Formats: sequence, C-alpha cells, structure tokens
Amino acid sequence: MLKMATSSSAGRVLTLCKQFQNVFRISSATNSPHCSSALTKYQPRLYREKSPLAALSWYSPSSSVGQCRALHTTITRRGLDEFFDLPENWGQTTVKSGAPWTAKQLRTKSSEDLHKLWYVLLKEKNLLVTLEQEARRQRVQMPSPERIRKVERSMIRLETVVNERETALRLLQTGQEKGRPGAWRRNKFGHVYWYRFKEYAIPWYMNRKYKRKSFFTPKFVQPHLRLRIEKHLRENARKASLERRTQAKLKEKFPQVKVSA
Amino acid sequence: MVRYPLYQLGNPQLRIFRPSWFLTLVRPGKEQPPDTVQFRIPMEMTKCDIKNYLEKIYSVPVGAVRTRIQFGSNKKRNHLNQKVKQPDYKVAYVQLAQGQTFTFPDIFPEKDQTSTEGSMEEMQEKFMEDEKQRQKPDPRRGGVTEWFGL
Repeated sequence: MLKMATSSSAGRVLTLCKQFQNVFRISSATNSPHCSSALTKYQPRLYREKSPLAALSWYSPSSSVGQCRALHTTITRRGLDEFFDLPENWGQTTVKSGAPWTAKQLRTKSSEDLHKLWYVLLKEKNLLVTLEQEARRQRVQMPSPERIRKVERSMIRLETVVNERETALRLLQTGQEKGRPGAWRRNKFGHVYWYRFKEYAIPWYMNRKYKRKSFFTPKFVQPHLRLRIEKHLRENARKASLERRTQAKLKEKFPQVKVSA
Repeated sequence: MVRYPLYQLGNPQLRIFRPSWFLTLVRPGKEQPPDTVQFRIPMEMTKCDIKNYLEKIYSVPVGAVRTRIQFGSNKKRNHLNQKVKQPDYKVAYVQLAQGQTFTFPDIFPEKDQTSTEGSMEEMQEKFMEDEKQRQKPDPRRGGVTEWFGL
C-alpha cells in the first residue's frame, strides 16, 4: 500500500541539504577556493523545499569545507507521491516559486550537477503537468501556471550549456564541430542549406528513395534565382529609404530632439 | 525530433541521457483496478521505456504496462468553419508490482474562505449579503407572494 504520509518539512530540508552537501563535496575536489563562499550562504526556506529554481540557495552548517560533519538523512523515496505537490499546497490559489536558472549560473555548475538538476527539473515538470491536467478536469484554475514556463526555460538553457561543453570537447578531440555529419547542398529551388545525414543500414546507391531526391537546381530555374535576389534587394532598399524618410520628417517637425543612432 | 542511432543485431544497449519525456498522471475516466495508474505519455514512448522511466527515475516497482493511442477529434469547427484538430495522445496503464495500490488523491479540496478584516473580499461579501436580504419577500406575509392583494 503506497502511503502518502506527510513527513515533516524539517526532515525534507535536511534531506535536500544532504544531497547538495554531497554534490558540493564531489565538486569541491575540483574547485575548492570557490566552494566556501557558496556553502556559507544561507536563506531560510519558507515554502517548498524541493523547488529546483535558482533563487534559493542551500542551507549548510557553518563549517569550512574540510570539516563537513555529515547529517544522516534518508533519500526521499516517495514513489508516485512525487507526481503531486506537498499536501499543504493542495487547494491554494498561488504557490511561491523562484526565478528560472540562467545560462550564466548553469555554466558555473559541474556536469554531474547539471545531470542531477535535469532530473530534478524533469520531476518538477511532471508534477506541474499532472496538476494542470487535474485542474482542467476539475474545472478549477491551476495555481501559479507560470512555473511550467520557468522550468521549460531552465531546461532549454541547461541543454544549451551541455551542448556547448560537448562541442568544445568534440572540437578538441576530433576537430569536428557537429556530432551529426552533414553537407552544404542546393535544392531544386536554388536554396543552399545544411543537409544533415541520416543513418541507414544500406549504402546510398542501394537506397531508391534517396536516389529520387535531387540536390541540384535545373537549368530553367536559373533566371528565377536572379529575380529573387533582385526582389530581396529591392525590399531592403525600400525599407531603408522609408526609415530615412520618417527620420527626416521627424527631424523637420522636432528639430531639437536628439536621436540616438 | 531526436534521431537515435540505428540498431542492428549486436549493437550495445541504447542509453539516453537527460530524457525529454514528460509523463502526466491522470485521473482515470473509467473505474480501474486498485493497482493501476493511468498516464498520458508522449507518442514516442514504448512500454519498455515507461517501465525503465518509472523504475529508474521514480523508483516505482512496475509490473505490467499497456498502452493505447487516443485519437483527438477532428470534428469541431472554428468560426471560419475550418476543422480544428485536437491533438492525439498516448495513454499508458501501469500496474504496480509487489501488491501496491494507488488512489488518485483529491488535489483541490474545498477550503472555508474566511476573508480578512477591511479587505476588498470582505466588503464585497457584505454587499452581496445585503443585496440578497433586500430581494427576500416580507417575512410577515408568511410565504404568500405580493401578487395577492392585501
């Protein structure tokens, strides 16, 4: 029988502190001079202790990095209860949450931290999505729906940071920038684009569907390319001249106003 | 649209770091057995994927998983008489192992609204009560309506 017992919030705070203390101890081996300032930062947690958003920092006993006396706590193993919020938040109209993670903050974290954060964000998003669906079912407003966007943005930024690190590593190791091979190709309409290769079990000369694709422009399309370029340039010129005309008119009407370039 | 590496016999097991799949726990429409949990899952997930997801990320012991795809209706029309498609979604029925049971909790319980003194809500409620009092008929007439004279 899955019990949905409400454990004390204090216990949960300590649990989270324990997890992040472990995280710090792992990353402290790599960058010890920075850690002490982060460890001694303290902010009392009045609301959901598991909020993965960056505005909250972590509680720690005021001791230096070397002498961390570990508190013995259990890992949260609530199973399916993790799809739902803490019971005291059920039925509220608003639930407080912090700011999303920025790419700058994420770049300071180690890869292991980012990996753990991804799963924290994933569980949070699952929670919010179940809440949204249940609110729709009960025809009630969902409390603070902006949390979903915040979590989505944090995840996107995390993904970009991880991809940055991967490309840097790949460049150093192999000299290739992109993991998936590709080539610049021209399609039937004369557009040049980056064609990304797809993995097949057979070589290209045995692939009938691939052979039907043509990566060249036919001769009768050539004059239309020039016309398209001319149209594009004409549009740009029109936009620029319109801009100049409006500025001249404004200057005539209000000669003393200084316009920044 | 993520392209995973092609699998051929003898290839190593595909491992996904940072899965971008989100499960929605839903209240079952029809009555389900007590050990069954109902999820809405992305179309790309399979039964094995759900089993591994729940076991590894949520440490929930999973017995059996059954999936189906729910067709989203294309019948409704907008103000331009164009058909509007509701998105399709996949539903998974997960049976928990080790004799565990799960009931979908009541997440929006009724709360007694006691508005604070001097606030807008209190003034509004007082006003509404006064209006209702005004609309009530004269209690001295004993339930008889105003239509009858005297």
